Amino acid sequence: MSVLDDTVSGLERFLSKVWEGDVSVGGVSMASAGARRRNVLFEATAPDGSRVAAVATIIPTAGMQLMDIEVEASNLRLARAAGVPAPGVLAVCTDPAFVGGPFFVTERVEGETVPRRVLRLIDAHSGLGADLARQCGAAFARLHAVPVERAHPSLVGPGDRTPAAAALAQVERSLAALLQPSPVFELAFRWLARSQPSVGRGPVVIHSDFRNGNMIVGQDGLRAVLDWEGCHLGDAMADVSWMCVRMWRFGRDELEVGGFGHRTDLRAGYEEAGGRWDEDSFHWWKTLGTLRWGMGLAGQARAHLDGSFRSIVMAASGRRVAELEYDALMLLGAAYRGASVTSKP
Amino acid sequence: MQDRPTAVELLVDIAELLEHDVMPALEGPVQHQVRVAGNLCRILSRELALGPPAAQRESELLSGLLGREPRPAAPVEQLNRMLVDRLRAGADEELEAAAWSVLVDVAKDKVAIAKPGYDSFDFRSEVEQ
Repeated sequence: MSVLDDTVSGLERFLSKVWEGDVSVGGVSMASAGARRRNVLFEATAPDGSRVAAVATIIPTAGMQLMDIEVEASNLRLARAAGVPAPGVLAVCTDPAFVGGPFFVTERVEGETVPRRVLRLIDAHSGLGADLARQCGAAFARLHAVPVERAHPSLVGPGDRTPAAAALAQVERSLAALLQPSPVFELAFRWLARSQPSVGRGPVVIHSDFRNGNMIVGQDGLRAVLDWEGCHLGDAMADVSWMCVRMWRFGRDELEVGGFGHRTDLRAGYEEAGGRWDEDSFHWWKTLGTLRWGMGLAGQARAHLDGSFRSIVMAASGRRVAELEYDALMLLGAAYRGASVTSKP
Repeated sequence: MQDRPTAVELLVDIAELLEHDVMPALEGPVQHQVRVAGNLCRILSRELALGPPAAQRESELLSGLLGREPRPAAPVEQLNRMLVDRLRAGADEELEAAAWSVLVDVAKDKVAIAKPGYDSFDFRSEVEQ
């Protein structure tokens, strides 16, 4: 039997148990098979004969799990209850015996998820990019408005530090682990450490990876936000600025929001839905996100070189660090451009 | 003197083989790996041509910034290490501003090898409100 056959019979056994009757599963296809999770599309026929188009998100090995599956499912429910478009959770299974790993089943939402296909859809519909940016802004604002005490108690937070201070401490550890000196990253770190956003708002529930590639988009715009395993308590501007870093624009650099929208639209959607936007903090977190991803790429190259994850793709990541260094320098341009001339005696 | 084709020419030949002949015969993750390998061959072909003058320029720029004589040139990694140490030593905003300017030039030389054209976008529209 193939892996997919095993998955079908595992899903049938599990859903028959939770829905208390015979469930049959058909129309199965693999939507994506990443290293960390598999997404299997299927159609279930419930005991009462009704049909449900669904998706099973399966964590193949426990070592790849960033977050307990029940916590991730609770994030989806929390977001939906707050008015953030997220797929409805139908069932959660922590027992790896059914399909080879813990998983949850959600309603299937039709639309595009692959970034370049999302951008092509937007090209074909005038005004969709701006609408989508506004809808993303509203989705962020609704998530950030969730009372923190309603979130799952195991969500990680910054502790007694500010989110900015916690993020800086993590950056400093990554700097120390670099295989070669990077004055660019050091400079960015110095500027970030000196320019921390003013305290005044506490941590909120953030998605942390809501960007082009983790959302389902249709002709009407945003239909669902996916991949809630990185959800934690952090800074609101960290969340919105991550969607705006250059690598999520897929070559459409002039469109700051995911290659499809302008920041003014994202901000308008955020503020219309009651969010409080802070430009300085946004810029700070966008710079930090760029720096952090640059060091993440260096870390991938390190994992290849030290043998812990041999892969030509990870090796190539080392040669992408230069892009993030360039981006970081340009983001620091507002602070340093021209200063080298004017500050000299 | 090695015979033609040169190393640069051969790397481009290998890249073309991977991109035009090998990739279409594959699918899934290994197809992506071959695409990446082809791109790495192109990066290496540019590095062979542009790397030595870029390293020379980086060495001169960093030496100048650090107030050292460019010759005998310290290895460029050592110069980068020295600059990191200087930046880490304290809040010297004048050094930081001068370093920014030098590092932009170095970064442009690096992306000319790693991803030509990447520096045609400079973020000015979004950092200057």
